Amino acid sequence: MYEGRLSEFGISNPQAGALPEVKDPEAAYAAITRGDYLDYVKKYRGFEEELINKSQTDTSLIDAAREDSAAAPDIMRQSAARNVSRYGTQLTPAQLQQQERGLQRQGTLGSIQSVADARIAQTENNQRLLSDLINIGQGVNRSSLSQLGSEAANANSRRRAYDNAKAQSKAQTYSTVGSLASTAILAAVFL
Amino acid sequence: MGSKPKKQDYQASEAEKTSASVAMAERNYFKQKYDPLLRNMRDQSRSDDNRLNLRRRANADTMQALTADPSFANTQRTGNAGLASNALLGQLGIAEKSAGDIKNTMQTGVLGTARGQAADAQTGMAQASRLATSDALNRAKNNNAVRSAKMTAAGKVARAATQKYGELNPDSKLGGFFNRANSAYDDARAAGY
Repeated sequence: MYEGRLSEFGISNPQAGALPEVKDPEAAYAAITRGDYLDYVKKYRGFEEELINKSQTDTSLIDAAREDSAAAPDIMRQSAARNVSRYGTQLTPAQLQQQERGLQRQGTLGSIQSVADARIAQTENNQRLLSDLINIGQGVNRSSLSQLGSEAANANSRRRAYDNAKAQSKAQTYSTVGSLASTAILAAVFL
Repeated sequence: MGSKPKKQDYQASEAEKTSASVAMAERNYFKQKYDPLLRNMRDQSRSDDNRLNLRRRANADTMQALTADPSFANTQRTGNAGLASNALLGQLGIAEKSAGDIKNTMQTGVLGTARGQAADAQTGMAQASRLATSDALNRAKNNNAVRSAKMTAAGKVARAATQKYGELNPDSKLGGFFNRANSAYDDARAAGY
């Protein structure tokens, strides 16, 4: 599709190994520029919006910490049981009760701490993502403003050139007509 | 009088044509090779592969550190499971944060590159528009020059005609007038008017 558009501007065999012939470099340049922007809109605009939204709403670290703090005591309970069984023994009911109390206590404390840590990490990650996005956006904004400034200067220069050309043409016309007319008048007077 | 400008005198040179062709070939190569890679990177950056790898690694690190050297005495310490549970939570938290960092860095890298291309494209557009501007200016200047030349030519023809008439008929009233008028005109030109 993109190559199809390029062929409209005199670019032949863009896929071939030989060098493509560029009949109109200016039109080709304009086509590439437009194509690049449209490609960005099609392939990356949604991705960019997704990232901007994510930088402000992402809670994945906190959610994971909550899930993990619920699952971790079970994992370690099973691990402890496997380790005990490897020695062909088992814990007494009192030891099991003590272990359970320890798991609950540590689980609660661990959960509070891991969720709190996750909140800090989440804020940090989101802020870093947002600042990176802002940096990218600023770069784009800067180049857009520079482009606009350049266009404004071009438009101004075109208008001034047109005004100058009009004035010059008018002056030239008046001068020639004036000299012809004065020649004619003087000729009539002397005749 | 000089001949009209020939269009073929203003054609691009072989060097310019080759330069444009090479630039286009490089551009096509870039689009073919690197565009799909960037799109792949974009899709990969959305996946959870790194996160899952880091979580597995965190789990393995914790288990290796706490259970790699088991002893009967350790199995009897009832507080160990709770402490190990906390350690696992801490490691998983670090894994999640690192995975988030990697994901964000990858995603902003992809976006920065894509946006860089867009910014390049915009700069290109400005350049293309400058090219168009100089063309428009050249056209305007050329038109103006042609108009001026036509008027100047008309003036010259009129002057040549009056001079010739003056030379051929110096004794006639009109011939005398043309001679005096042309002489006055030459004096005025010489004086800088």
